Amino acid sequence: MSILLNKNTRVLVQGITGRIGRVQTHWMLAYGTNIVAGVTPGKGGTSVEGVPVFDSVLEAVEKTGADASVFFVPAPFVLDAFIETVDAGINLIVVVPEHIPVHDVMKMKAYARNHENRELLALGPTTAGILTPGEAKMGIMPAALFKPGRIGIISRSGTLSYEMAGILSNAGYGQSTVVGKGADPIALTNLSAILQHFDRDPATAGVVIVGEVGGVQEEEAAKFIADGMHKPVAAYIAGKFAPEGKRMGHAGAIVQRSQGTFASKQQALREADVTILNSPIDVIGWARHIS
Amino acid sequence: MNLYEHEAADIFSGFGIRVPERILAATPDEALMAAEKIGLPVVVKAQVPAGGRGLAGGVKTVGTADEVLAVAADLLGCRIQGIKVRSVMVVRKVDFYRELYLGITVDGFKGRPLVMVSTRGGMNIEEVARQNPADISSLDVPIDRRLFAFEARKLLKGAGFPARQIPGCADTLVRLYQVFEAYNAMVAEINPLVVCTNDSLMALDAKLEVDDSSLFRTAKLVPKSHERNESHLEKLGREIGVTYVELDGDIGIISSGAGLGMATMDIIGQRLRPANFLETGGAITEELLYKTMDLILTKKGLRAVFINLYGGINPIHEGAKGIVRYVKEHATRIPIVAKALGNRQEETWGILRSGGVHVVTEVATEKAVEKLIELIG
Repeated sequence: MSILLNKNTRVLVQGITGRIGRVQTHWMLAYGTNIVAGVTPGKGGTSVEGVPVFDSVLEAVEKTGADASVFFVPAPFVLDAFIETVDAGINLIVVVPEHIPVHDVMKMKAYARNHENRELLALGPTTAGILTPGEAKMGIMPAALFKPGRIGIISRSGTLSYEMAGILSNAGYGQSTVVGKGADPIALTNLSAILQHFDRDPATAGVVIVGEVGGVQEEEAAKFIADGMHKPVAAYIAGKFAPEGKRMGHAGAIVQRSQGTFASKQQALREADVTILNSPIDVIGWARHIS
Repeated sequence: MNLYEHEAADIFSGFGIRVPERILAATPDEALMAAEKIGLPVVVKAQVPAGGRGLAGGVKTVGTADEVLAVAADLLGCRIQGIKVRSVMVVRKVDFYRELYLGITVDGFKGRPLVMVSTRGGMNIEEVARQNPADISSLDVPIDRRLFAFEARKLLKGAGFPARQIPGCADTLVRLYQVFEAYNAMVAEINPLVVCTNDSLMALDAKLEVDDSSLFRTAKLVPKSHERNESHLEKLGREIGVTYVELDGDIGIISSGAGLGMATMDIIGQRLRPANFLETGGAITEELLYKTMDLILTKKGLRAVFINLYGGINPIHEGAKGIVRYVKEHATRIPIVAKALGNRQEETWGILRSGGVHVVTEVATEKAVEKLIELIG
């Protein structure tokens, strides 16, 4: 079992004919992902790695029954593609690209919020994607580090989710699903909404949050965990030594206005009875404890 | 990206917000000429794209020509928040009896613009928020429409603004929101907005931070020659396309992702001192890692280089070629420890080893840092 994505999910790749879209389609197919269609406006009728390409999302949905979409669309066009995808009825949207204007992301989040009642869930921007070990992946994760199992991971950082999954896999603890929440100042879906999915998933035994300095996502998630999360949660927060006012690579990873500090996140999570991991490798002890 | 106050003031003025008469000066003589043109007394304000200037002594009221020369000479060339002051703004001194606060920012959690107002202007607003949160009133604005004057008036009334000033303040707030939208701003703020002795309103400070990711759209609007709050090496990093943040240790770090980079910095920081944070982003090429090696080794006195890469979106075997080419061409002598996992990892390890790089094949960064400590003792 898993959350959101499995081997039967019918995946659409938007921006499939681009350089990154092509390469990543190859790796996603190699992992066993059920990719049914691609979209690039103006390239309809062609194919990439045997996947048929359509001019519009609606056409792709009508012809192939696609029900999830992963974006490799250039940042300036993402807002447009996002509205198109929501309107075509797709309910899982993974926005991989980075450097999307923050005002565009606000519009995307508002649009997604208007369709909440149909269970729409969007990840990103700036996410490595979502991967259910042994079943499917939508995004750019290097598959060899992930193994099937019972630990859920939610991460703001792609690379750090690989590290966390790799450490767990090598120690014999697989993952149910690994979710990239996205590393921008605004996430399309907040941390607590993803925690809720894991809490309901019978195949997930516990969840690891991989956070970073900046923003208040972890602090807000701590409230949700304290109020209603049933499963054990552990958290690692990166950026202990991040200097104030410097953007640490991710647009969202910036300690500003004394908000989103390492200390405030650790304190909020600790008060919600979350196990604080001082270093990624400490996840092994926690996984042993809850297994 | 933070704009300078004088840039933000020009923009605010262009949107119909009243700002005092002002002239930019790059030398004490220019400052004196400006002061004479405006008429003494004036306020001399150091121009740096950062907050907290008042507390750092960057804002001075002066009454005589000699004082203008002395203050301008003092401020020009000094550093505020680590940034060199290259110009001062000479501003007409305004007589006022009340200071207010208007600000618009992005609420990252809700993903909406957040309008904030307070009758306690002129203070550090974060300090007000911490100590007396009730003194700040705020309003979420749906991103698909503008801020309307009626809701601005309602917000200001609720915040206890003086009744006579509410229509004027609401008008200013609506205009500030127009700036926020047009410039794809992260922050647009007036602190303080003052009520002058003749009861007119005036923006005595102007703060505008624009979203870097929107610059492709707003480039025509945003002033060009913009100096950022960054060191020489940070600037070089931006130019080659990586994020470099200078730290004060002696272990150089290269990582292929921001989260991984921060974790690497934290793990190394437990026992050694990182010289920098560096992340390549997702566009690694041979050339990029060659230049990245050159960049971090520009810093003198490094004891070792620690490289942490994942091949997900990145072709790490290409990156490895750049590292090895650099090491061979420059006969680099300090130890280089690398952990590189993911697509084409075995090929990557072979290339790195051919250049004398110590390759660690375990997943946990802690294990690779142990190797580093073993090598440098």
